[in-house]
Amino acid sequence: MINLFKHEIKSRWIAVLCWSVGLIFFGAFYISIFPGLFEQLQSLKDLTIYKIVGMYLGSMEGYIASVILAYIPLLLSIYCITASTSTLAGEEESGTLELLVAMPLSRVQIFSAKAAALSIAVSLIMVLTSVGNSAALSIIKINSSINISPFDLFAALMSSLPLALGLIMIGLFLGALLPNRRNSAAVVTIFLITSFFIKNIAEMVQSLEPIKYFSLFNYYNTTATIFTQGPRLSDIAILLGVAAVFFILALICFNKRNITVGAWSWQRGKMRN
Amino acid sequence: MNSKTIIQTRNLSVYYGTHRGIKDINLSVQKGEIFGFLGPNGAGKTTTQRVILDIIHPTKGSAFVFGLDSRKDGIAVRRHISYLPGELSLYPSMRASSFFDLLGSLQNNGLNKSYLRQLLERLELDPNRKIKEHSHGNKQKIGVAAAFMGEKDLIILDEPTIGLDPLAQQTVLELVQEVKEDGRTVFFSSHNLKEVQEVCDRVGIIQNGELIKTEKVETLTKQQFKRLEITFRKEPSPDALAMKGVKEISRDGNQILFEVAEGLDQLMEKAVTYGVIDIENKAVSLEEIFLAFYGRSKKEAKND
Repeated sequence: MINLFKHEIKSRWIAVLCWSVGLIFFGAFYISIFPGLFEQLQSLKDLTIYKIVGMYLGSMEGYIASVILAYIPLLLSIYCITASTSTLAGEEESGTLELLVAMPLSRVQIFSAKAAALSIAVSLIMVLTSVGNSAALSIIKINSSINISPFDLFAALMSSLPLALGLIMIGLFLGALLPNRRNSAAVVTIFLITSFFIKNIAEMVQSLEPIKYFSLFNYYNTTATIFTQGPRLSDIAILLGVAAVFFILALICFNKRNITVGAWSWQRGKMRN
Repeated sequence: MNSKTIIQTRNLSVYYGTHRGIKDINLSVQKGEIFGFLGPNGAGKTTTQRVILDIIHPTKGSAFVFGLDSRKDGIAVRRHISYLPGELSLYPSMRASSFFDLLGSLQNNGLNKSYLRQLLERLELDPNRKIKEHSHGNKQKIGVAAAFMGEKDLIILDEPTIGLDPLAQQTVLELVQEVKEDGRTVFFSSHNLKEVQEVCDRVGIIQNGELIKTEKVETLTKQQFKRLEITFRKEPSPDALAMKGVKEISRDGNQILFEVAEGLDQLMEKAVTYGVIDIENKAVSLEEIFLAFYGRSKKEAKND
C-alpha cells in the first residue's frame, strides 16, 4: 500500500507545484492592487451583486477575506473536483484501475492510498499557497497600514483545508458511485456552485437563513472576523466530519463497484429472470 | 476440487441489469496446463477473467483459484496471479522501467531483475523510454513483460499477441511454453486460433456468455469432423455423393474435398463406384472447428 501511496504522490507533484504557484500569484496580485483600489471600492461596497457573491470591499480586512479567502479555495476546488473524480472514475475509464485491482491489494488499501495521497497533495498546495500569500502580504504591509499579520492570513487560508478535504471526499464518493468521470465531475460542480450561492443568498434573505446549514461554505468563514476571532473549531469539526462520512461512503461504493463496467449502480449485478 | 485444480468456477454468472455477461460457467483449469479460452467478441471471455480476479463481482456462482474463493480471499488469490488485460492501459508519463518497479513493488514478492532483463532483451524493448513514446506494439510488449516478470503460478493473458509483430508473437508463445515447462499455469484468451492450437493443451469455447465446449485441442481437432480429399477415376456428378453428414467443400476436376461429420462408411461405399485413386486426410485446424461451432450454433439458434 505504501508503494501505491508513493506512486500517487509522485504522480501529483507537478500539479501541486503548478497550482501552488498559480494561487500564490493570484493572491499576491489581488493583495498588491488593493491600496490603489481602496477609494474606488468604497463606492462599490454596497452593491447587491457583491453581496450575492460574498464580497465585502469596505476595508482591507474585508477585501482580503472576501477575495483571497473566498476565491483561493474556490479556485482550488477546480483541482479538487478534477483530481478527485479522475482518481477512481477517471482511472477506471483510462483502464489503469484494472491493473491496480488485479494486484494483491484490497480495495480498502487502494482507495486509502489514493485518498491519502490526494489529501496530502491538496494540503501541500494550501500550505504553499498560504505561505506565498502571507509573504506577499508582509511585503505590501511595509508601505501601508494593514491590520492583518502574515500569520493571521496564513491561519485563515489554512482554515479552508477542511473544506477542500470535504470536497475531495465527495468527489471520490461520486467517482465510486456514478458510472463515469463526466457524471461525477458534473454533480460535484453543481453541488459546489449551489453550495456557494446558498450560503450567500441565505445571508442576504432572512427567511432563507436556515438553508445555509446545508452549504459547506457556511462552515468556512470568509469575513474579516476570521482575522480577529480565528476559525471556529466547530466549523472545522463539521467539515472534517463531512470528509470522514464521504470517505466511508466512497470506500463502501468502491468495494462494491464492478470495475471496468461503468454502469449506474442499479444496473450492476442484478439477475435477469 | 483436487490440489491440481488451479481454477474452478461453479455456475459463474454475471448480469449487467438485464444484459447478460456470462451464464453458468463451469470450468476447471489444471496445474501446468495452458488453457485456451475462445469466443467471438462480446462472448464473455474478458468478463470471466475479471471475475476470477475479483475485478467484477459475480451475480451468481463462484470462482475458486488455488482452492480459494476469489471473492472472499481476493488478495491471497491475486498474490499468485499476474494478468495482462485485453485493453491494456499504462501510465503514459512513466518510464517502462518505473512501471515495472511499481508493479513489482505492488506484487509484494520482489522483482527478479535478471529475469526482467532477459524478458526485455527477448522482446527487444527499451525500458528507459517513457511509455507514451513507445509504439502501440511496444506498449503491448510492456504489458507482456509485466505479466511474465513476476513468475507467478497462474498467468492470465487476454489477447497477449494483439498488435505485436510476428517475431514478438512467437516470443510470447515461447514464453507461454516456458511457463508450462516450469509447471505453472496459463489461462490464454485469444482470437488467434493458430496460436491457441500451437500452445494450448485444452480449450474452452464460449458463446453468448455460455461455455459450450471444453476439450483437449488434439481431441477437438480429431473428433469434430474430417477433411478428406478424394481423387476419383471418373468425376462424380455434383449431387452424386450428397448425403447426411457429408459436405462437399471444393472440387477441382475429379479431385473433391469433403468435410465428413458422419456417414464415412456410406461415402466410401458410393465413392468406390467412381473409382478411387487416392484419399488424403487433410488436417483440420482449430480455426475451422471454431468456425464450424459458431456456424452450427447460429443455425440452431435460427431453428429455435
